[in-house]
Amino acid sequence: MLIKRKTGGPGRTFHPAMAIGDTPKVIDRRAFLRNSGLVAGGLAAAGSIQLGSVRKAQAAGSSAIGPAVTIKKNICTHCSVGCTVTAEVVNGVWVGQEPSFSSPINRGTHCAKGAAIRELVSSDRRLKYPMKMVDGQWTRISWDQAIDEIGDKITGLRDKFGPDSVYWLGSAKFTNEAAYIFRKFGAFWGTNSVDHQARICHSTTVAGVANTWGYGAQTNSYNDIRNAKTMIILGGNPAEAHPVSLQHLLSGKEINRANMIVIDPRFTRTAAHATEYVRIRSGTDIPVVWGILWHIFENGWEDKEFIAQRVYAMDDVRKEVAKWNPEEVERVSGVPGEQLRRVAETFAKEKPATLIWCMGATQHTVGTANVRALCILCLATGNVGKPGTGANIFRGHTNVQGATDMGLDVTSLPLYYGLVEGAWKHWARVWDVEYDWLQSRFDEVPAKAGRKARSRKESMESPGITSTRWFDGVNLPEEQVDQRTGIKAMMVFGHGGNTVTRLPEAVKGLTKLDLLVVADPHPTTFAALDARRDNTYLLPICTSLEMDGSRTASNRSIQWGEQIVKPAFESKNDYEVVYRLAAKLGLADQMFKNIKVVDGVPEAEDILREINRGGWSTGYCGQSPERLKAHMRNQAKFDLVTLRAPKDDPEVGGDYYGLPWPCWGKPELKHPGTHILYNTNLHIKEGGGTFRARFGTERNGVTLLAEDSFAKGSELTDGYPEFTMAVFKKLGWDKDLTADETASITKTGGANIDAVSWATDLSGGIQRVCLDRGVTPYGNGKARANAWNLPDPVPVHREPIYTPRPDLVAKYPTRPDERQLRMPNIGFSVQKAAVDRGIAKDFPIILTSGRLVEYEGGGEETRSNPWLAELQQDMFVEINTGDATDRGIKDGQFVWVSGPENNAKAKVKALVTDRVGKGVAFMPFHFSGWYQGNDMRKFYPHGTDPVVLGESSNNTTTYGFDPVTGMQETKCTLCQIRAV
Amino acid sequence: MRRTLTTFRTLVAATILTATVGASSTSFAQQTRDGLNPTGQNPTAESVNEEFLFKQDPKITGRISIPDGKAAHLIQPAGRDYRDFRERWLPWLSALAVLGAVALLGLFYFFRGRILMERGPDTGRKILRFNGFERFAHWMTSSCFIILALSGLNYIFGKRLLMPLIGADAFGVVAQYAKFSHIYLAWPFMIGVALMLVLWLKDNIPNKIDIAWIRAFGGFVGDKHPSAGRFNAGQKMVFWMVIGFGSAMSVTGLMMIFPFALTDITGMQLMQVIHALIGIAFIAGILAHIYIGTLGMEGAYDAMGSGKVDLGWAKVHHDLWVEEEQAKNASGPQLGRHQVPAE
Amino acid sequence: MARMKFLCDADRCIECNACVTACKNEHEVPWGINRRRVVTLNDGKPGERSVSMACMHCTDAPCAAVCPVNCFYTTADAVVLHSKDICIGCGYCFYACPFGAPQYPKVGNFGSRGKMDKCTYCAGGPEPDFSTIEYEKYGSNRLAEGKLPLCAEMCSTKALLAGDGEMIAQIYKQRVIKRGYGSGAWGWKTAYRETVAI
Repeated sequence: MLIKRKTGGPGRTFHPAMAIGDTPKVIDRRAFLRNSGLVAGGLAAAGSIQLGSVRKAQAAGSSAIGPAVTIKKNICTHCSVGCTVTAEVVNGVWVGQEPSFSSPINRGTHCAKGAAIRELVSSDRRLKYPMKMVDGQWTRISWDQAIDEIGDKITGLRDKFGPDSVYWLGSAKFTNEAAYIFRKFGAFWGTNSVDHQARICHSTTVAGVANTWGYGAQTNSYNDIRNAKTMIILGGNPAEAHPVSLQHLLSGKEINRANMIVIDPRFTRTAAHATEYVRIRSGTDIPVVWGILWHIFENGWEDKEFIAQRVYAMDDVRKEVAKWNPEEVERVSGVPGEQLRRVAETFAKEKPATLIWCMGATQHTVGTANVRALCILCLATGNVGKPGTGANIFRGHTNVQGATDMGLDVTSLPLYYGLVEGAWKHWARVWDVEYDWLQSRFDEVPAKAGRKARSRKESMESPGITSTRWFDGVNLPEEQVDQRTGIKAMMVFGHGGNTVTRLPEAVKGLTKLDLLVVADPHPTTFAALDARRDNTYLLPICTSLEMDGSRTASNRSIQWGEQIVKPAFESKNDYEVVYRLAAKLGLADQMFKNIKVVDGVPEAEDILREINRGGWSTGYCGQSPERLKAHMRNQAKFDLVTLRAPKDDPEVGGDYYGLPWPCWGKPELKHPGTHILYNTNLHIKEGGGTFRARFGTERNGVTLLAEDSFAKGSELTDGYPEFTMAVFKKLGWDKDLTADETASITKTGGANIDAVSWATDLSGGIQRVCLDRGVTPYGNGKARANAWNLPDPVPVHREPIYTPRPDLVAKYPTRPDERQLRMPNIGFSVQKAAVDRGIAKDFPIILTSGRLVEYEGGGEETRSNPWLAELQQDMFVEINTGDATDRGIKDGQFVWVSGPENNAKAKVKALVTDRVGKGVAFMPFHFSGWYQGNDMRKFYPHGTDPVVLGESSNNTTTYGFDPVTGMQETKCTLCQIRAV
Repeated sequence: MRRTLTTFRTLVAATILTATVGASSTSFAQQTRDGLNPTGQNPTAESVNEEFLFKQDPKITGRISIPDGKAAHLIQPAGRDYRDFRERWLPWLSALAVLGAVALLGLFYFFRGRILMERGPDTGRKILRFNGFERFAHWMTSSCFIILALSGLNYIFGKRLLMPLIGADAFGVVAQYAKFSHIYLAWPFMIGVALMLVLWLKDNIPNKIDIAWIRAFGGFVGDKHPSAGRFNAGQKMVFWMVIGFGSAMSVTGLMMIFPFALTDITGMQLMQVIHALIGIAFIAGILAHIYIGTLGMEGAYDAMGSGKVDLGWAKVHHDLWVEEEQAKNASGPQLGRHQVPAE
Repeated sequence: MARMKFLCDADRCIECNACVTACKNEHEVPWGINRRRVVTLNDGKPGERSVSMACMHCTDAPCAAVCPVNCFYTTADAVVLHSKDICIGCGYCFYACPFGAPQYPKVGNFGSRGKMDKCTYCAGGPEPDFSTIEYEKYGSNRLAEGKLPLCAEMCSTKALLAGDGEMIAQIYKQRVIKRGYGSGAWGWKTAYRETVAI
């Protein structure tokens, strides 16, 4: 907290008491000047550093603070907290950053990255113009040449190998609008292999959470954690990954004297602020959660009423939990039963309690199961759907939530419609194109390796290859890849090359690709691995600070960012690049049919309007650009804890900040958005809701609809299915629809008008009527403790592929080998081989990875920023004091970290610390530019090398994929460490 | 027998195996319970505080990620002692040393006056005492010393004496040049000290004659001149002072020129204190040397001026050296049996 | 009017380094000069705490006392500033400073440490407010604009407090009462010869 900023007026008013009082030598500046008779210049200037760049001084002219300063607001491009960035712009140059006090999310504050974000835009280490590799040399080319050549090449590949041979990797740093048109581009190109970083951060969360209660997102918000009386942070280090969120957590801890329990293999900066720290063995989250539930069920601390009304099949969970008595939990995870009893009692009794998790839970071969177990813990204790409770999932990048929502996902079209025929038809209507034409864009796959042939329609409805396996899609024999050929070209937009595990395999893949295109503000690791000689292009893309557009923060609030300055150098924004590529391929007229294009650049506002027109399923329909801009103008009016503006405000009255989705109906309905999901204590028009009836109405004779539970003010006082015209007709509610709405529904439904639902009704009529009658359009269902469609319907413990406890593998093996997402997943064979070969003896240390506060993601961007780079100049491995002593390793010296696959080794500095327990090592994953001990700096195009380079942690990571989402295993493998 | 042996072997192997398995499982249990593992403890309740840390160590030190090691010290109140020394004691000590030396020499001059050359038969004849190279070494060192001393004293007295006189601006310029000269002239000074060590070491080894010389108070008191070699005990003392203080100043000075290269903040403060204390003692000592070499004694200056001294003077003050020189060099002025004038 | 101070609430500081980069951003401080830094004590062990530290703008500042050229002055807001025109880069203030605040650019050959640079409490230097020369030598002058130091304004958890000593002590006291324990006003005894009484 700061004292309130003074408005204007001199800051240095003379205070007589000060002069007379305890400070003897008070001289004001002018007096000092007078006394010293200072003159500027001369010898005096020698040896002085020059602060303030020439750039800034020139832009500012003679006076640094003049009337020419304009203020622009955008959103920090780093993590998902969604901090507002307030920029001071003079003559088109971004000269300064001011605290954004009016934002209810960050309230003026930033972390190291946000406070240094100005340098991201002004950095002279950015990619300045399009480049092409000719015989291993980077050569400057023009945009026209780049688009022409790339367009010709991918068309050639498409003709020869089919559309699936080109892989489209998008970005969580896209704005919603860019993510949307990128996904749309994928659909028009004819592939579902369109992915982005959510794959490697929270894909398992999305799958696990959505399969439990309906939507795959944070249920509450950062601000709402202030209401919690107990918070468990499992597998997350928000102090480094989401520092501004800690403002809300620590305030809650103070105000409510809340319990803050951190469960993690590593004593993190977050753990240092916890009231209880539980150290577990990496990869034993399910035993620990079941261990907690064991105490809850044993003592009857569960919320019986909540379970009866709103949860399906909790008894199935009881059976599994019964196996996890305190002794077995301690044997497997190392956590004493007595401690878990304490945690269980706190979480179940000191309510409201919230569960926060991050990549420590998700990046595992059992990621989805982990997430499911965590949801079940919330359900068992009734900690969902109320203030201060919920699954507070802290997502990663600035717009990873939005990019996921927009369908940069191999399994879905925008807004979670999936890939089924109905979804395609819905989007064909929104896009105003023929469904049959879209289908014709997809590939026919011949039968191979015993698998049946696939028609165009089946290809269209078959999930693509995940980003974690792209190089397997290149390297594996083609009959193992479930499409016409393997991957021949990578189109990488805003995605690091070092963020996926098994980097040595990726290098092999890079050498084999026919074409590599990297469109990014920086060259990224893809360009600097020295794997290619030709057919490699770099396209300079501006940061999202240099463009208009909306971003969805982790709490589902959507914030509009305005362009701060024009794109630097020759860089262009994502909209323009996608448009030009579409134009080159002859798709632009179709794709941008209903979107305004100004001077070759599609307008962000108009793209958002198209999203609004199609985004019914997730409530992305009410957030018009006008409303979002009004929110940015009126930030100060929103309450810190409820995120709500006063009802009487003319512009944003009653709205929740950023209209967190679902924001039902058309913008004119002025739905306030939903701050807390599934909250039955509020009317749906006030942001209330129920669990989503997504999985049918009954299973094996047991109802899947809520019992005696409904949102406040609902006309239906029991569970109900999702609303379709059929249901409407039964209830007689179809009469509430206006003539226009009925006409639109009739047009949509055609022969089968009854099938038109709340999600496919383009008129918004169904949602409007639902709101008026106080019901949730998606129905009122039960959350599922048993998700029968998942590989492990009730989560079971499975040892990591490379486990330090081979003795447990027989009892808790990983899942059998199977095929998922067009690829084989041979985790079982790999685990078996590792156990048989005694890998755990040669590689006795558990290797886990995570974030540093100064860097983000693959780190090219942040490591190019000298203000951040100065703070972390070396890649390191955290090694326990005991392990270091055993190996004669001193703090700060170079060591080799070797891994069990590919003879992988990494030369890094040792950081000897007790943050990690004995037998555990930790590496941050942001480094690249060194490869297996070699400095790769010379392979970057001249002048674009990041300030700090280092080994990538993924040099040494190993095999292992979640069966549902293809999530990689980054948190638990084995390694050996030796002094250099 | 053979069978017993086999059984025994199996038994041993089994024991080893059990031991290994046992060891590995206990080590895992320990991993979660030993002192390294904070499991079960409440990190908030046990947070460190200033008082506790100060009891353990006078400065509070932690971990930082920037390579600047000295930034790892969070608070080091020892700076207070340094300040106390520098601002409270050092000005008085140095004033006392410098002015005290001047005053003593003044008193000496007042009572003893200038030691005049005793006229004798050899008066007027010259003997070479220091060759050109020796004089070069001396003057290089001494001129550097004077500037170093003045610029050094400026660190203590500049703001107290000079600044009020010439104003902050002019003083800023002077002080900046003074600092540059202090750092740059330190190098020729150090070379000079090293040269003098090489040139004059053999003549400055203390011996028995020195004891007699000291007993006779070097001839300053009374009329008799004690015998002396090339350098008398007094001069040897000056030599060893220059070597000793000079090296101490060099070492501490270098440490300050390359701050924190070898030592931490405490070491740096200590270097400062040593440098200042020896510096003022050095200045006081050299003042005496300058006095005796110029104003205090007639004929002494020539040794470093022209390099040649009056033979008569030399015979009185460095009789053994003159003997040695003349024995070495027959062409030079001879001292011999016939040196004693015929009665 | 006010006696400006810094107070870092260690119970909230999470070593996010926002204060450090905010300072770099506001004043464009070059590589190697760290006007502010965060030190983590008891790293990796229970009781670990991080503290953000810069010039504390001491009462009776030791740097000013030992300066051989008297280049320091204290403003009416009790901010300790210095003139780079007078400073000779001798390094004495670093030896006297309890907080390791003074920084020196390496500008010349051996030994010629450049002129000292340190936290100005975002209050510029002796040159006229908002002049280009002031900005180039000392960075921006937020205090004269009626704003507080950016490090504190941007602190992610509002651990670092800046402002009038009594007001920030009051804020800190309220927090301590709310949460039931203190974290110590790090450096206050050394800098201001007092601590926050609860």
